[in-house]
Amino acid sequence: MTSKPDKPENLDSDCLKAFDHLYAYLNGELKDPNAVAMIEEHLSHCRSCYSRAQIEREINERLKKTGAGPTPPSLEDRLKKLIDNF
Amino acid sequence: MSEQNDKKAFFSQSLGDNMQSLYSVALRFTRNSADAEDLVAEAASRAWSALDSLDDPNRFRPWIFRILHNCYISDYRKKSVRPAETAFDEQATADDDSEIACLLVQQPDEFLHWWANPEREVFNKLLGDDLHAAIENLPESFRVVVVLINIEGLSYDEAAEVLEVSPGTIRSRMNRGRTLLQKALWQQAQDAGLISQYNTLETRL
Repeated sequence: MTSKPDKPENLDSDCLKAFDHLYAYLNGELKDPNAVAMIEEHLSHCRSCYSRAQIEREINERLKKTGAGPTPPSLEDRLKKLIDNF
Repeated sequence: MSEQNDKKAFFSQSLGDNMQSLYSVALRFTRNSADAEDLVAEAASRAWSALDSLDDPNRFRPWIFRILHNCYISDYRKKSVRPAETAFDEQATADDDSEIACLLVQQPDEFLHWWANPEREVFNKLLGDDLHAAIENLPESFRVVVVLINIEGLSYDEAAEVLEVSPGTIRSRMNRGRTLLQKALWQQAQDAGLISQYNTLETRL
């Protein structure tokens, strides 16, 4: 997937097949090289799925930056006392 | 150093390395900082008692997340005043494929085209507060998978270990959870009038 495709396509069985692997692919969990090749080939010509994948990449990046923030000092103290008493 | 001290040092170090993630996930479970602290403390206590059952020290992270999750299931969810979501969750595997196909069809190219060139301010809102709200509103079994993998960075295998399900189930819940997330964002964009703004803009162009 090197450049943005411009050929619009409707949702079809290839899209559903690609979607089945999309999140595993984006999450780095798609280990089967044939499945990787299949989804990359599909994304290279399906504008809808390409756009969807871009959305999901962006969401992944945002989610990685999401968190509860630093651990409350009260919890750190509590766990330290807990471990001291083990 | 005695064996007990070695064990305690390992536990303290490993717990410290994962404390922030444990608190983050506990907060997602309980939605309350005081309960989240109690949950992490309870999980730490149970983990120490069960430390001899940890076969591989390198698997401490999924191991203690599993204990945290089990503590939540056994103690906190029972006490929760929020309505149980299990009825919805249990339907999840039966009609996954048809529902996902249906959701995809419901997300027309209109949204995808808007996304390709969104107004930045609107885009940031959609992926800021709206994204948080959308995650919070996911059914629990999907929310947990998205949090563990996409926020805390666990692998599918680790998440499967934590939730004591197969990696295939994790994959299925991820697909469905993220599809529902995208559907929620699409709905929020519509409710906020973003799509009609986009259409107006496009008509002018």
